[in-house]
Amino acid sequence: MMRVVVWIPLVLLTLFVCAVLAALLFHVSPAEIWQALNSRETQFAVRLSLMTSSAALLVSLALGVPSGYVLARTTFPGRAILDTLLDLPLVMTPLVAGIGLLFLFGQDWLGGSLMRLGIKIVFTPLGAIAAQTFICIPIVIRSSRAAFEGVNRRFEMAGQTLGLSSAAIFFRITLPLAWQGILTGAILAWARAMGEFGATLMIAGATRFKTATLPVSVYLNISSGELGPALACAWILLLFGFVLLLVVKLLSRNAGARAAARGGAYLS
Amino acid sequence: MISLQNISNHILHAVNLDMRDGELLALVGPSGSGKTTLLNVAAGLSGYTGSVLFDGSPVDRLPSCKREIGYVFQELLLFPHMNVEQNLLLAMQRLAITRAEKKDRARQILTAFRIEKLGGRFPHELSGGEQQRVALARAVVAKPKLLLLDEPFASLDFRTARYLRQELKKQQRRLGLTTLFVTHNLAEARELGDRIAVMKQGRLEQKGTIEEIWFQQALDEGGFLEKPNILTCSYAVNLQNGLVEVGWAGIKLLVPDDGVEVKGVAILPDEIYISAEKALGPPINRFVGRVSDINRADGIVQVAVSVGEEILRVEMSPEHFLALNVSEGQQVHGVLKLRALKGLGSCRTEDYTAQ
Repeated sequence: MMRVVVWIPLVLLTLFVCAVLAALLFHVSPAEIWQALNSRETQFAVRLSLMTSSAALLVSLALGVPSGYVLARTTFPGRAILDTLLDLPLVMTPLVAGIGLLFLFGQDWLGGSLMRLGIKIVFTPLGAIAAQTFICIPIVIRSSRAAFEGVNRRFEMAGQTLGLSSAAIFFRITLPLAWQGILTGAILAWARAMGEFGATLMIAGATRFKTATLPVSVYLNISSGELGPALACAWILLLFGFVLLLVVKLLSRNAGARAAARGGAYLS
Repeated sequence: MISLQNISNHILHAVNLDMRDGELLALVGPSGSGKTTLLNVAAGLSGYTGSVLFDGSPVDRLPSCKREIGYVFQELLLFPHMNVEQNLLLAMQRLAITRAEKKDRARQILTAFRIEKLGGRFPHELSGGEQQRVALARAVVAKPKLLLLDEPFASLDFRTARYLRQELKKQQRRLGLTTLFVTHNLAEARELGDRIAVMKQGRLEQKGTIEEIWFQQALDEGGFLEKPNILTCSYAVNLQNGLVEVGWAGIKLLVPDDGVEVKGVAILPDEIYISAEKALGPPINRFVGRVSDINRADGIVQVAVSVGEEILRVEMSPEHFLALNVSEGQQVHGVLKLRALKGLGSCRTEDYTAQ
C-alpha cells in the first residue's frame, strides 16, 4: 500500500506538467501552428534569439569561467560578499534587472560614450545581448566554480613537478578535467538566455523585426490576440529547452559513469 | 650531488641531507615524521628556510616547474583524461626536442618498464601495478636531476610491490638517477636504499647504511625501527655459488653473498619462523631451541628462543602465536629465512660510525 502512496505525488506532478503542455499544444489547430512557424516574423525571432543568446553565452563564458576559477582557487577578504553579489542576478526580478541596465546604459558617460563609438545598446539587439548576459552569467560562474573545485589540486601539483607552466597546467590539466561541469553550466545558461524576457523587454524594447526575440514575440502576439504565432514561438522555446535539458542529463550521466570507472580519481 | 642544508619549516627542524649522484636514499620514519614534507621541500612544493642545492647551485628561488625533478606521488596522479603516451609526452614538454623524438623516448621508456603495449590505454583501464609503472615512467622520462618517490608501492599487494621494487632499482641504476625514496617500511628501505635516513618528529635522526642504522644506539629509543638479531659467526666460508657458509651456535647456516667478508649475520625478529613440530621443507638454516621467554606487547608477541648458548628474538602476530600453541620451556623447531639473512663485515658497534 505504502509503495503505491509514494508514487501519487510524482504522478500528480507529471499530469500537471503534461496538462499545461497539452493546453498549449491543443489550444489552436496544428495547421495554424504550422503556418505560424513558416511566417517571416517567427523565423526572424528564432534567428534573433539564437544570435543574441549565443553571443550572451560567449560573453558569459569569456568572463564567467575565469571568474569561477578565481573564486574556486583563491581566498581574499570579502570573497563571500562578492560571491553573493555575483549570484544576485539569479534571484533578481528580470524586470528590475532590465530597468537597472536601461538606467546604466541610458547614462551619458556610458551609453553616450558608446553611442559616439557607434555602439547603440538601448532598444537594439545589443541590449538583448546585455540583458541575457546579465541573467546567465551567474549560472556560468557557479557551474565553473563548482567544476574547478571538483578538480583535485594535486593534479596541478603533479603538473608543476613535470615542469609545466601555470598556463600549461590550466589548459592541459585543469580545464580538461573541469570542462564537463562548465559545459553543463553553459547549456543551462544558453537555455536561460533563450527564454529571457523581462530584462530584454526593458532594455531592448519590443519591436517586430528589430528586437523581438522568441519570448518577446510570444508577448507581442498574445497582446495583439494572435494566438497561432504566439504558441508557435512558445513551442519552439519549449522544444529547445527540452533538448538542452536532455543533453545536460545525458552529460551528467556519462560524467558519473566515467568518474566511477576512474574510481573518482579526478575528484578531490 | 643534491644537498638539503639546514631545512626548517612548520614540520621540519634543521634537516641536513646530502645525496651522491646516482644514489638511492631511502627515507624512513613513522607517519607524521616529516618525510613527505622533506620531499615537497626538495620539489619546491612546500615553503622552507635553509637551502636546497642541485650540483652545488641553490634552487631555492626556482619554482617547482623549473627544478627538473621527477615526482611519483603516493596516489600516482596520472592524468585521467590522457592516455599513457599522452601522460609521458606532457612530462617532456620542457625538453627542447621534436615531437618525434619525444614519442621515440616515450616508446623507449615504456619498453624499459615493460609496458610498451599500454601506450594507448587510459589510467582507469590499468591495474594497480601497471599504473605504478606508468607513474614511474612518467617521472623519469624527462631525465630529472632528482627523482622523488613518496611511498609509491604502499597500496600494492606484497608480491607486486616486491617485483616493482626490483624493477625500480634496476631502472634507477640503468638511468643513474639520484633518488629520494620515502617509505615507512624498513624492509622496503633495506631492499632498495643504498643508504637509509631515519626521520622522527621533523628531525633527521640517523643516516647511513642499513648496518650502520642497525648498530647505532638511537635505534633502540625510536621504537619505530626493528632491531635485528645479530649472530656472531664462529667461521665463514664463501662457497663461490652466491652463498656463504657460516657457523653459529654450533649449527651451519647459509647466507647470501653480498661481497663482504662475513663476521656476523643479521636477521629481523619477524623473519624467523618457529613451530612446535619440525616443519616441512629443505634442511637449510634450521635450528632447535627452547622457548625461554614470552612477551605480549603492542599487538605483537615477542618470543625469546635459546639456541645453545645464544638467544634469538622472534616476533609474530598474536593470531600466529595462538596457532603456534607453545609455552615457556617448550622445545621448538625453527628456520632462519635464507633471503632475510644479511652478512655483516663486523659485529662491533664501533665499526659502524655514524656520518
